[in-house]
Amino acid sequence: MRVWQPGSHLTMQRGAEVRDWSWRRTTRRVTTLARLTRPYKLRTTLALVSLLLAALTALIPPFLARDAVNAIQDDDLTKLSWVVAGFVFAGVLTLLTSSAQTYLTGWTGERILADLRNRLFRHLQRLSLGFYERNRAGVIISRITNDVEALDQLVTDGVTTLVQNSLILVGSAVLLFYLDWRLALATLVVVPFMAVATALFRSRSSRAYSSVRERLGLVTATLAEDINGMRVVQAFTRETPNQRRFQEVNEHYRAANHTTVVLNGLYFPFVDFLSAIATMIVLGYGGYLVFEGQTSVATLFAFILYLSNFFDPVQQLSQLYNTFLAAVAALDKIMDVMDEEPEVLDRPGAGELPRIAGNVRFDDVRFAYGRGAEVLHGIDLDVPAGTTVALVGHTGAGKSTIAKLLARFYDPVGGRITIDGVDLRDVTQASLRRQLGVVPQEGFLFAGTVHENIAFGQPGARREDVVEAAKTVGAHDFIERLEDGYDTDLQERGTRLSLGQRQLVAFARALLADPRILILDEATSSVDIGTERRIESALEILLAERTAFIIAHRLSTIRNADLIVVLEHGQVVEQGTHAELMTQRGLYTALYGDWADAA
Amino acid sequence: MAAPYRQTFVRLLTFLRPYKWSLWVSVVLAVGSQACAVLMAWLTGTTLEQVLTSKSEHDLWVLIGAVFVVGVIRAVLMFGRRMISGNQALGVEFDMRNALYAKLVRLSFGFYDRYQTGQLMSRATVDLQTVRFFLGYGLIFFFQHILTVVGATAVMFFVDWRLALCATAVTPFIIVLAYRYSHVSHPILRDVQQRMGEVATVAEENIVGVHVVKSFAQERAESQKFEQRSEAVFRQSVNANRQRAVYVPVLSFLPLLAQAVVLLVGGHMVASGELTYGDFFFFNVLTLMLVMPLRMLGMWIGQAQRSTASGERIFEIMDEPEVIHDRPGAVALPPGEGRVRFEHVDFSYAEGRAVLEGIDLEIAPGDTVALIGHTGSGKTTVASLVPRFYDVDSGRVTVDGADVRDVTLASLRRSIGVVAQDPFLFSATVRENIAFGVPEATYEAVERAARLAQAHDFIAALPDGYETVIGERGITLSGGQRQRLAIARALVLDPRILILDDATASVDATTEAHIRTALREVMRGRTTIIIAHRLSTIALADELVVLSEGRIAARGTHDELIESSPVYRDIYEHGLLERELAERVEARGDEVAA
Repeated sequence: MRVWQPGSHLTMQRGAEVRDWSWRRTTRRVTTLARLTRPYKLRTTLALVSLLLAALTALIPPFLARDAVNAIQDDDLTKLSWVVAGFVFAGVLTLLTSSAQTYLTGWTGERILADLRNRLFRHLQRLSLGFYERNRAGVIISRITNDVEALDQLVTDGVTTLVQNSLILVGSAVLLFYLDWRLALATLVVVPFMAVATALFRSRSSRAYSSVRERLGLVTATLAEDINGMRVVQAFTRETPNQRRFQEVNEHYRAANHTTVVLNGLYFPFVDFLSAIATMIVLGYGGYLVFEGQTSVATLFAFILYLSNFFDPVQQLSQLYNTFLAAVAALDKIMDVMDEEPEVLDRPGAGELPRIAGNVRFDDVRFAYGRGAEVLHGIDLDVPAGTTVALVGHTGAGKSTIAKLLARFYDPVGGRITIDGVDLRDVTQASLRRQLGVVPQEGFLFAGTVHENIAFGQPGARREDVVEAAKTVGAHDFIERLEDGYDTDLQERGTRLSLGQRQLVAFARALLADPRILILDEATSSVDIGTERRIESALEILLAERTAFIIAHRLSTIRNADLIVVLEHGQVVEQGTHAELMTQRGLYTALYGDWADAA
Repeated sequence: MAAPYRQTFVRLLTFLRPYKWSLWVSVVLAVGSQACAVLMAWLTGTTLEQVLTSKSEHDLWVLIGAVFVVGVIRAVLMFGRRMISGNQALGVEFDMRNALYAKLVRLSFGFYDRYQTGQLMSRATVDLQTVRFFLGYGLIFFFQHILTVVGATAVMFFVDWRLALCATAVTPFIIVLAYRYSHVSHPILRDVQQRMGEVATVAEENIVGVHVVKSFAQERAESQKFEQRSEAVFRQSVNANRQRAVYVPVLSFLPLLAQAVVLLVGGHMVASGELTYGDFFFFNVLTLMLVMPLRMLGMWIGQAQRSTASGERIFEIMDEPEVIHDRPGAVALPPGEGRVRFEHVDFSYAEGRAVLEGIDLEIAPGDTVALIGHTGSGKTTVASLVPRFYDVDSGRVTVDGADVRDVTLASLRRSIGVVAQDPFLFSATVRENIAFGVPEATYEAVERAARLAQAHDFIAALPDGYETVIGERGITLSGGQRQRLAIARALVLDPRILILDDATASVDATTEAHIRTALREVMRGRTTIIIAHRLSTIALADELVVLSEGRIAARGTHDELIESSPVYRDIYEHGLLERELAERVEARGDEVAA
């Protein structure tokens, strides 16, 4: 399902563009697709065979119609019956083969796409956080949705259309030549006209339609924005000017669409006219040939029937070109993602991290994102097990980078990070992260039930444990009040809950996972006062008896921390408890001093 | 068809009323071009007979000439029909969109509280698309196809009723089958779409929330979850495909059967001299001509049903009562200094759940009042009643002595500047955003407002200054910047009353001080209502009004209330202070980052 997103009209795809047509790239594309069909060799083969058969059997009936006319002319009614029986039999054959073909090509196509989707997703899951920070989420999402869909059109419909229509086109032409080559030659004179007209029509209309899409996008975007901001529109009495503006945008769209009306209005009657010309040639030149005794009326009749086979395939094939381009472009983009390698990898032979106490050390840790400038310049930290560390400092000082390194979302460029003396790079990522709990800002939730969200880190967790965790952080009451309690579906990103409630659920999730080390990014947005208090006490429970790194925003959190680390430009400038730092009159005092005075 | 269903359908047709004339012309053209098609079939049959019985070469050329002429006439008629009905289709779509927009603009806040943007958008896009497709194109094609089927069948019966009976025996089956196919496949195809949506949701969550997935080491479980959704799409696609594999080949087979019957029976009749060769060929070509329209007929019936269902959803919005509108004879708000009075105001969003009860409040011209209270205490509601975003249940709200329901909405709202909590800006230029309420405002007026709101400096630093388009090329504004733009937007109106929902977004300390100065400046000479969330703004107020459960719990200055009001004390100690700090830390950070 295509989801409308704000501003999408500005970045709308302007038709597919494929730049690289080199031999190597092309063979890679083909092998990528071929490899996907490999597990389904039998079905793929059967699909292709039935496709061939369906196209070929479809060519028979007009041919038999000629024999029928011949039989009538010869007054041979037995032969007529046989021919008609053959006619029906050919029809039944087409019925069966095209039924098999539709099912088989559809099945294989959808299967391949499902496999591709799954593989792509698993691959994305392997990639490190760096990939996600380099690429915008929308772009990555469209790889797995829009691009797979673009491929879908080629794989399920495109291949069938291509093979079937080419076969019918070529087969009909061959049969026409077989029936009477002179008449065939004369009739097929219209084909080049048809081809030129179709090519012209396609290129013009693809341009026209892309402009229609673009302007429709603008109509939709305007509408969505104005619905979103309707309160502002009304508060500032902008109803009339906005309505006028919307009509303008709407009119623009209509104008663009007008071009397509003209193009369709010219093209389709022209095709119809060409078919009249072809009929005229068959009747006129064919009639002349009959008078000359060189061909039969039955042949003319077959010609008339075959002619209807000609115009449809040409149109369908021309349509395919755009589908094909879009699919290749999509495939390229998917292949690019598949080529990405995770930056953080388990070292060969990396062991499991044994159950840890939670002594964390940063030894002269240096870090830079990609090839960018260094953002951490030699961080030294020694955090004994059970300590609550509050990281404070400006945006960009390096607080969240430290948190990410500790979770090994990135590897340091220099120095090392150890937990209980073990270098993070010497153990598997999974065993490390199982002992870590991360609570992101705003408490990111997933679509699914409350239970599933709390049990996110322990998918098999029993209901009692989930309830216990929720009770401990004080989330139980409001969960019980939801219509289905713990089985209430939270929908996308848990939007049904308030911000504070989402945070509490995220706390419960972290608590249930029972991590040895907790990494918490405190929310900056405000919640109502009741929830605020609940969060405060939940935090206390969560922090007890574990090592915790908090990107802190709340005064109470910072005051209660065992260790406050003040960061500035990627360096630790001060550390100590609140009381100690207040006496130093450094950056910390500058940050909090005036507030302390005011209070 | 059920009665309400038919009503909706008939009502949809009213969209065609302005195009009555062009509708008739395109019907006439369609009849003409279909008649040409039948004529062409007859000419083909007759010519073949001519050739067969070798009458004269001269007659042959006459017939060939006729084929050409009919071909040209048909092409011209088709062109005319397409141009006229195509433009009519665009017109219908254009009108429907405008009508819907015009309706949306008139619907009040209460409506927008009930409907989410997504719901409205799906009506305005998907449903509208379905309806306009049917009204614009479907109806004409539907008619044209019926015409072809009825016309060709009638001609067949006219030529020879026995053979006609044989040839059209399959007709009802094709229509029924095509209709059934369209009927059964639609829900499955829609389901495929929906499941694709679920796949997209899981993908999106995992990509946006990748840090959560990774930090709980749940990659494998999430992959399984994704695969489940993905397999559901596969299964349902295969189901859709299975239907296609059954219906489509049969639908292609049935016309072939008709052709076979015509060949066999017609052949016998020709042999026994009951039918001429010409009519035999004529029948064959007519049978061929019927294939497409028959299949499409069934499809269009399904389409008509779907567009009626969509129409119903659109009419649901079109029929929404416009709750807040100018009373007949409403006059402009009389001039005044901005005295606001609430007299025994009761209000509820939904019946039976009172939000405000017996609010009595008088705000003297030029005064600044801060509304304070817990979430849900009704402070935002109080402020919304002044610009008449909602109407009171009982009691009244007056501005300078006039009941807000007795004056025109335009004059009332032009006198009130509103700054929302999370200000909504449009993807237009900065200047257009500031001049939103006064589109004709001069550049100087816009800049003056921006300077007053402390926004000029950062605007000047944007790539195109006041002409920078917000939201384009990654230009996003911080919460503080958006708030200042919203303040400037309200100031351009030069309102006598200012309503300020004090944003929670962070503003750096220097700017905050600037804004405070600016606010002091702009509040001078205006009545101001502030929905306060922080200490610094409370300090700006002449008087604080504490709301609790829809009633006024206390009023007074900070010093008075801290002594007398427990509600205020609670809010002060546990809400305002904490937030103050959080904002300040973040703001300092932003300052450095910027």
